[in-house]
Amino acid sequence: MWLVSVRDLIWRRRRFAIAVAATGLVFALALLLSGISASFDNEIERTTASFGADRWFVAAGNFGPFTAPSAFPASRVRAVRALPGITEADPVAMVSATTTTPRKRSVNVIGAVPGGVGPAPEGSFTEETDALADDSLGLDVGDTLSLNGAAFTVRGITHGRTYFAGIPTVVVSLRAAQRLGLGERPLATAIVARGTPRSLPSGFTALTNSEVAVDLSRPVAQAKQTISLVRWLLWIVAAGIIGAIVYLSALERTTEFAVLKAIGVSTRDVALGLISQAVLLAILAVALAILLEIAAAPAAAMSVEVPVVSYLALPLLALAVGVLASSLGLRRALRVDPALAFGS
Amino acid sequence: MEAEAHLSCRGIAVEYRSGDYLVRPVDGLDLDVSGGELALLLGASGCGKTTLLSVLAAILRPVGGSARLGPTEITTLTGSALTEYRRHKVGIVFQSFNLIPSLTASENVQVPLRAAGRSGRAARERADALLEQTGLADRRRHRPDDLSGGQKQRVAIARALALDPPLLLADEPTAHLDYIQVESVLELLRSLVADGRIVVVSTHDERMIPLADRVVAMSPHTPAREDQITRVDLTAGQFLFRQGDPGDLIYTVEDGQVEIVRERADGSEEILARIGPGDYFGELAPIFGTRRSAGARALSDARVVGLTPVAFRRRAKSSRTQTQHDRPPA
Repeated sequence: MWLVSVRDLIWRRRRFAIAVAATGLVFALALLLSGISASFDNEIERTTASFGADRWFVAAGNFGPFTAPSAFPASRVRAVRALPGITEADPVAMVSATTTTPRKRSVNVIGAVPGGVGPAPEGSFTEETDALADDSLGLDVGDTLSLNGAAFTVRGITHGRTYFAGIPTVVVSLRAAQRLGLGERPLATAIVARGTPRSLPSGFTALTNSEVAVDLSRPVAQAKQTISLVRWLLWIVAAGIIGAIVYLSALERTTEFAVLKAIGVSTRDVALGLISQAVLLAILAVALAILLEIAAAPAAAMSVEVPVVSYLALPLLALAVGVLASSLGLRRALRVDPALAFGS
Repeated sequence: MEAEAHLSCRGIAVEYRSGDYLVRPVDGLDLDVSGGELALLLGASGCGKTTLLSVLAAILRPVGGSARLGPTEITTLTGSALTEYRRHKVGIVFQSFNLIPSLTASENVQVPLRAAGRSGRAARERADALLEQTGLADRRRHRPDDLSGGQKQRVAIARALALDPPLLLADEPTAHLDYIQVESVLELLRSLVADGRIVVVSTHDERMIPLADRVVAMSPHTPAREDQITRVDLTAGQFLFRQGDPGDLIYTVEDGQVEIVRERADGSEEILARIGPGDYFGELAPIFGTRRSAGARALSDARVVGLTPVAFRRRAKSSRTQTQHDRPPA
């Protein structure tokens, strides 16, 4: 009975188009939130990977190198280098700063040894006033970057190096970081090392990359939880829209269903016809949502990185939502007494 | 269409709840219609015509009796047999046409064909042939909103004939038509019995009687007793008439008291009114030719006088002393 379903959709095309637009918008918001949530995980992965370390040494009692770093003398790196199983180790300092270029905003500053273990590869910069800036700052190579009032020259651009929910990272020399956030003292907040230590120097805790990632994700955990909740609410809203449209359609088509049943159309076919409308609505809404998401993502203030799996899962979820949401209307359609056809 | 069928109903009784009350619009009805005959179910609104059609369409299950179309017992059909019967054995023309507004005339006719598994092309060809047969070849792409009442009715008839059923049911086919449209629709209905089909038409329109091979009066039988006055002596507790009985006379209480009683679906009774000397009751059923909607029982030993509506009206006019009290429409 596809003929009846398709014709009915064409018949009610304005309402159907509004429903597709509304549901598509809701799905697009859900996709954008998925992308933002995924970007929180991705930035953590990229940031930790940029150090190229196997182990992170922080002061004993610290949960991680990023969330609440405690400073210790950078010279302690010698004790780490001396550990059996460690091949390379260098001190790093993670501090916060404010930039005014190109506009006022917070940045994460990582002080590292150029060419050593850390996010400053060999030759990336040479001077204490050099910096690698994340592209989300909107700067180009050669631009001047102001950090806490001190001028730096951008020598390289990194991509996706953010943490704490999209705050851009600037990599400077360890010395510059000490000047910016550690009172110019020869301190470090972590030692990053390659290799697997078989023991620990006193006063240190060693963390794996996974443990560092957990530490980095802690400040955004609540935001992710909220996003997850909002995403569920959006799914419910989408289900509500589809459900309302299908139920309204079932209400208006009561006589039609009665007639169809009376003239020998099976209840199964009547049900399939109604479900097919809900499914079509959901699929078209998904298509619209993907287009809207692609168009809107670049305009978002935060990085939106929708996982491919979300694009693939959305139609399936939408189908499930469509079928589930149409159950109320379906129930009504199934219960229509064909005798109504005589009475109207 | 299959070999000539025979429609046979014995003791059909239909009962349903209406609020708290049980209504029995069809009670013990017998009917026989042979293939090639047009039967007319004639009667006023509410007399059970549509109810009987619903039984014959296997849409309503009677509480008693049997209805057979050829070898098929209609009243016990379930599941796929029921769908199969509705699809292939019976075609229905509804009172309000009940065409699907989103479909064209041709697509409306195609619905039962596609439901029966015909291909799109075969369904289209059959639908267009039927529309041509019903004189609507040039209207096949029009939607119901663009068709006149008579045209809609003919599309509905074409839809009912789509799978060439041996039984065609038409519910008040002239109800929404002007006199020009009525003529062509009746002509069409009459022509449908030519190939051995049974056509059962419900109507209150007595102009259709000459078309019928068989007329079934569905309204309660009202004997012609113009000015006859009937006096009835009742003993306390005796029923003068019961709920569901045919209504023929209007009664006036001469002596004693009568109570109007309605039976509820749960078997209990509701006393609607008490009627004393000089008051009348039970006027609606004989005037409108319907069944009694409540019973009348003597509350004490009583004497009542029964008058036909004509006699009652004449007497009321002459005396002008009757006072009408609040009473139920028994």
